[in-house]
Amino acid sequence: MIIETREFTRVEGNGKAEIVIEGNEVKDVRVKIVEGPRFFELLTLGRDFWDVPDLEARICAICYLSHSVASVLAIERALGVEVPEETRLLRELGLIGELIESHALHLYLLVAPDLFGYPDAIRLATKHGELVKEGIALKAFGNRIRDLIGGREIHGINVKPGGFGRWPGREELEAIEREAKALLTVAKRAVRLFSGIGEYGGRAELFVATDGYLTGDSLVSNVERNFHYFERIEERPLVYSFAKQSLYNGKPFLVGSLARLLLKAESLTPTAKRLFEENRGRLEAGWVSYNNLAQAIELVYALERAGEIAKTLLDKGFEPENVPVEAGDGEGIGYVEAPRGVLVHHYRIAGGKIEYSNIITPTAFNHAMMEGALLWEARNLYGNAPEDELLRRLEETVRAFDPCISCSVHFVRG
Amino acid sequence: MKLGVFELTDCGGCALNFLFLYERLFDVLEFYEIEEFHMTTSLEGRHFDVGLVTGTVSSHRDLEVLREARNRSDYLIALGTCATHGCLQASVELPLKEKLKAVYGDEGNPMRALDPKPIVEYVTVDLAIPGCPYDKNELFQALIDIAKGIEPVRPDYPVCLECKLNEYECVLVKKGLPCLGPITLGGCNAACPRSGLGCIGCRGPLPGEVNPAGEFEVLKGLGYDEEYIMRKFKTFARWEP
Ligand code: SF4
Ligand code: SF4
Repeated sequence: MIIETREFTRVEGNGKAEIVIEGNEVKDVRVKIVEGPRFFELLTLGRDFWDVPDLEARICAICYLSHSVASVLAIERALGVEVPEETRLLRELGLIGELIESHALHLYLLVAPDLFGYPDAIRLATKHGELVKEGIALKAFGNRIRDLIGGREIHGINVKPGGFGRWPGREELEAIEREAKALLTVAKRAVRLFSGIGEYGGRAELFVATDGYLTGDSLVSNVERNFHYFERIEERPLVYSFAKQSLYNGKPFLVGSLARLLLKAESLTPTAKRLFEENRGRLEAGWVSYNNLAQAIELVYALERAGEIAKTLLDKGFEPENVPVEAGDGEGIGYVEAPRGVLVHHYRIAGGKIEYSNIITPTAFNHAMMEGALLWEARNLYGNAPEDELLRRLEETVRAFDPCISCSVHFVRG
Repeated sequence: MKLGVFELTDCGGCALNFLFLYERLFDVLEFYEIEEFHMTTSLEGRHFDVGLVTGTVSSHRDLEVLREARNRSDYLIALGTCATHGCLQASVELPLKEKLKAVYGDEGNPMRALDPKPIVEYVTVDLAIPGCPYDKNELFQALIDIAKGIEPVRPDYPVCLECKLNEYECVLVKKGLPCLGPITLGGCNAACPRSGLGCIGCRGPLPGEVNPAGEFEVLKGLGYDEEYIMRKFKTFARWEP
């Protein structure tokens, strides 16, 4: 017998799950990504490198800037371009803005209704208007940063190889420093709220992240340091999904906020570090549901870090100057931490044109882990709880991953 | 009035952009009740005064969702360039079988994928708002107009004009960048030239009296090769409106 969930709600993109029951036992769970294929790598083949980051941004709206930055980093590596510190900091600021926008959306508008038993944030707002407004304020702030660095709230084209189309000015950075400080209290409240979340979705054992907090030169995990994705991670297509599945040394693994906190806590800002330490025990237990708590702690990190970056740039001063980029040959990988976890853009460029391209998104990395988490929940609840409760819990478990389904559906065969 | 938002295959941006109205979202909610919108609510509705559809039809599942949305909505809006012109996923010009093979590696099509097409190829719509993503003010105004019984106005000028009104430096003439502003439908307030970069045509071609041939010659004169220009022209809109 197969129980099929309806299409997941309050997640990005279109997907559902199938629970396979045999002889009164849960045998398997399949996560079916029904969102159609989007052919992004094919789209980039033969294109001029300069145009590619703007197109890749369209893979996902919630994390478009992560895609532009990963794409730009891969291109710069391939063409041997080194950018100065201020360019790197401004890109990081953009990624921080994206983290704020994405986590606020997920926690306040998509997950919070579950905590209070409402079908959505609009109905939740009738009773908890302040909470929803706080979430919206955070999200709007994240988007202001995306607008400033990325050129638009969604799909801006301002992040380019070598620098920016338009550089932010002093006053704009001062405003960011100010607002980040003002919103910090709100984020701290979010940590309190989400530290009350239950334990579900099973426990993850393997975690993968980039070596720096939001970008890196390679990957790290809880079993080894510094490796490249193609050395350890194998992707395989599935007959029931438009997204492929990835395994690390043959096993499912988790990327995203929880993985970042567990692997890179030493890089956190002071308040975020304190909040991490307070919750360390629970986070280390690896429950998938605690990814929500990890995201709340990261909101605190992001606000503090945004302030730090703005201050550094203001104190130091900077010349808005781009590094010239010449069309040439080469190969490069851009590793970025999108809000949902590790994002890889890998290109080979010949004569300034893209010759090979491979993109792996966080949701694709998490796909096997997601099936594992659902299997755990289904085994736990099947026969012990009514079917509608089982289905609701499965949906909550999927939501804890904060999946981005649109992102996950366009892999080229490696 | 009852509102439904439906997402086919896309990046989620056009659905998300609606939430980015922030406080003005509550103004929209003065007139509308959100009955179905899977990204934000777990409820499901039956009948809608206004339906918004984003994304391309890329699978049989998408086609079913679209037909349902059309049948159940009195006024249907194709929202965003995916829905109005096909956008990026429709721009890869290979037979579907070959595309699937390149990506997934076998020749089967177990998930019943279709060659991505804009929704306007399958159903008639009452209004089309292009943009990747569309300008949220345009949607806001349209929804308020419809609620008040007024037919929304549609922009009919190129991005170029918005540059001139904002007094941005012309990136085509001054910097020689390949800007599609002269032949692209305005309404974004020249977002990309504002960053000193060329318009990449995300709102699709300006309908009516456009002169793509003239633009083609200008770009050729700047030293861009023909294949490059053609690809640029066809990135967001493979099918003519
Ligand atoms: S038109 Fe652009 S922003 Fe809108 S859904 Fe399609 S890809 Fe995303
Ligand atoms: S300037 Fe062109 S590419 Fe940029 S937002 Fe406007 S229509 Fe889209």
